Amino acid sequence: MPVYFDHNATTRLDPRVLEAMMPYLTGPYANPSSLHRFGRSARDAIERARQQLADLVGCQPQQVTWTSGGTEANNLALKGVADAQPGGRVLYGATEHPAVMEAAESLRSRGRAVEAIAVDHQGLLDWPAFAAQLASSPVRLVALMRANNETGVIQDVTRAAQMAHEAGALMHVDAVQAAGKIPLDFSALGADLMSLSSHKLYGPKGIGALVKRAEVDLSPLHHGGAQERGLRGGTENVAAIVGFGAAAALAVSELAMRAECASQLRDRLERAVQQLPGATIFGAGVERLPNTLQFGLAGYEGEALLMQLDRRGFGVSSGSACASGKGEPSHVLLAMGYPRDVAYSAIRVSLGRDNTVDDIDRFVAVLRELVAAGKS
Amino acid sequence: MIYLDHAATTPLDAQVRAAMLPWLDDVDGYGNPASDHRLGRRARAAVESARAQVAALIGAEAGEIVWTSGATEANNLALKGALEFRGLKGAHVVSSRIEHKAVLDTCRYLETQGTRVTYLTPDADGRIAVEQVMSALQPDTALVSLMWVNNETGVINPVVELAPLLRARGVLFHVDAVQAAGKLAIDLSQVPIDLLSLSAHKLYGPKGVGALFVRKRPRARLAPQIHGGGHEQGMRSGTLATHQIVGMGAAFALAQSQVDAEAARQHRLRERLWQRLQRLAQIHRNGDAAHCAPHILNVSFEGVEGEALRASLPELAVSSGSACSSATREPSYVLRALGRDDELAGASLRLSLGRSTSAEQVDCAADQIIAAVHRLRALSPTWGGSSVATDVETTTAFAGDDNVYMYPAPVWAAFGAVRHAGTLPAADNVVCSQVGSPAARAQLELSARCTPEGVVEAARFRAYGCPTSIAVGEWLAGRIEGCSTAVAIPPTAADIRAALEIGEDKAHCALMGEDVLRALFDQIHRIRR
Repeated sequence: MPVYFDHNATTRLDPRVLEAMMPYLTGPYANPSSLHRFGRSARDAIERARQQLADLVGCQPQQVTWTSGGTEANNLALKGVADAQPGGRVLYGATEHPAVMEAAESLRSRGRAVEAIAVDHQGLLDWPAFAAQLASSPVRLVALMRANNETGVIQDVTRAAQMAHEAGALMHVDAVQAAGKIPLDFSALGADLMSLSSHKLYGPKGIGALVKRAEVDLSPLHHGGAQERGLRGGTENVAAIVGFGAAAALAVSELAMRAECASQLRDRLERAVQQLPGATIFGAGVERLPNTLQFGLAGYEGEALLMQLDRRGFGVSSGSACASGKGEPSHVLLAMGYPRDVAYSAIRVSLGRDNTVDDIDRFVAVLRELVAAGKS
Repeated sequence: MIYLDHAATTPLDAQVRAAMLPWLDDVDGYGNPASDHRLGRRARAAVESARAQVAALIGAEAGEIVWTSGATEANNLALKGALEFRGLKGAHVVSSRIEHKAVLDTCRYLETQGTRVTYLTPDADGRIAVEQVMSALQPDTALVSLMWVNNETGVINPVVELAPLLRARGVLFHVDAVQAAGKLAIDLSQVPIDLLSLSAHKLYGPKGVGALFVRKRPRARLAPQIHGGGHEQGMRSGTLATHQIVGMGAAFALAQSQVDAEAARQHRLRERLWQRLQRLAQIHRNGDAAHCAPHILNVSFEGVEGEALRASLPELAVSSGSACSSATREPSYVLRALGRDDELAGASLRLSLGRSTSAEQVDCAADQIIAAVHRLRALSPTWGGSSVATDVETTTAFAGDDNVYMYPAPVWAAFGAVRHAGTLPAADNVVCSQVGSPAARAQLELSARCTPEGVVEAARFRAYGCPTSIAVGEWLAGRIEGCSTAVAIPPTAADIRAALEIGEDKAHCALMGEDVLRALFDQIHRIRR
């Protein structure tokens, strides 16, 4: 079995989650909008899961809208606000996930002014630049991720939300990578909208959620049907919703333990990588997700190293799974001011529940071997 | 419970589930199909093989299939994506009044963005004619969107005939084929449809996955509606849910192996069901039986109210229209578009058959419906048909242990075990009052026989309306029997609501009860004078 070090791309479904889902994959399986008995039990299951998710992120269950995943949730947030609320610019962090970045950029074709917010060399928001952007002309929405999917760098969303609110703007938080890895509190962060994904926290793929304060006006992305209070048409994916709920409940009870295990392994790996010649740890000086380490080795191309590591039985990534294979260097590292060749060298290791000290040590050994071979 | 709601959703097929499970369960089945390592490539291969399976059922190429989260998203992507890409937001679109909400609501949204939409009205048989579509075309018509099979009536639209005509006119053609796939033969290599929406869970696949066929030659171009990592040739971003996609592929492969035999079998059973239901007089089949998908039968019943009919069938999982509109309990807009009035549109059942449906189930379902309609017609003060009985006490109970629609317990008990239904033989000491009308879909009649002292010896009611109005009649008749009208104060609407635990939404039923009782007491006082 290969060693899987790509948990920020996706995670293995927790067997306990699958167990919770099975009744909805095997039992009488009906459209939750239908009125008869089968439909009602499906609706009850959906509402239980909504509560479980609300418990994970410190919101009210009625603030949760199911989507097909984090990407749809981010699109719904940005386009939904832009459609429902005319006027004002949309700002997004320069290191956002493509789902936020591309959704924001698409608003230009709808006549919306869109701007990226610069980050510093560590990947943290450039606060003076942000303040100037807020002050220059009205802003409708600020989109900022809680934790970056490539570097793991954690943004001070609370501070950004305060500034956004003072300027009369709404705050959207992409919490896809943060959920289940660090504590997350919708109201404490000051968020107006927040997107979540199930498959990053040992839940099934194909399901996500948008959390939204009731007062925030939003247009639907998918029209048709009155599901999710008219915000998201389409027959509910019952089994996946139940799975997301179960995964959220497990994340609540195991969060501290998972974070502790991951950070021990990550720190061990980080110490070893630092010893390698020409190593750069991205975001090294700032608070990061406990499971994530992105680094570059001078003179090596990330994609090539990735393929060699894959052949040696280690599944890692050069950055975001979505962007991989496109031959483009990480936009995150470019935004942090790294030159293209350094960005090209990036390898992301993202750890998870099943990883062990032995995995780390063997990985380090292989890495040393490859580096030594490359030098000769 | 007999499940005849396959047009709403179908059970997940065991073989499909077996195909999905490795992608939920296996130690190497969870990779992100966009990842460039072994687990990612493995998942990607499974996704691509499913793409080929879905394409095969509809005569398409694998590269023409774009995964979505379901048919609603596919319909949204087709309509908004096509118009947005062409920059023709001020253009003209032709669709119909009987489309699924996903298309109708999208069209309404497009109208708010400046698109002009012509909604065609079907003929009385529920069909949109070729000439109708062609004569609705305008010089700037960019898109025609028409469903292949209507989800409520099962009627087949002439999309095969239309496709080449629209191609010749250079108009993009989108077809919602959610109810057609796996039921009718679809061969897009022969039929020049440009965009076609599909769903997995209507075909024994999982919920939460669908697809849009996007023709490559000539290429139908779309602006993405979900932006992100550029998945699905840039048309639809977001991590692909491997297990769901594999499930959809398996479901479509399975459907392909049995489409003809299953269609013929369901067609026979559907006609058997219709034959048997015709033991009831004054019922109407909705939609053209000659152009109908094999699995759907839609029937309107005269002389019964729709909600009471559905509540009387707790052992039958059926729908009164599409599941998406049944929660709102509005009469079906599709049946109204066919020209049915609100009353008949409301008193309709959509019975949709599936692979597990048997002849026994069909017969048993028909018998339950027949019994329910008989009973409700017998309770109705205006029904003059053959099934009326003057004293209906023997037919008033039904197998209603299961309060599936969650009526207040006293309402459900009274509705399920009616003891005071009927009329009293005319006599000098018998009075009768009536309120409401069939047009208002609520009618309540109360009769009483009194002693010279004004004591109610016997009371009966008849009602046409929802279960709550029937329960109000039953409760009132029972309440006043033995009462002395000389001393008793008639219960008010508030009393009725309290006794039956009637909520705000059904307060009008209690008001009707107060009115009919007041009128009855007035008459009793009059004959005593």
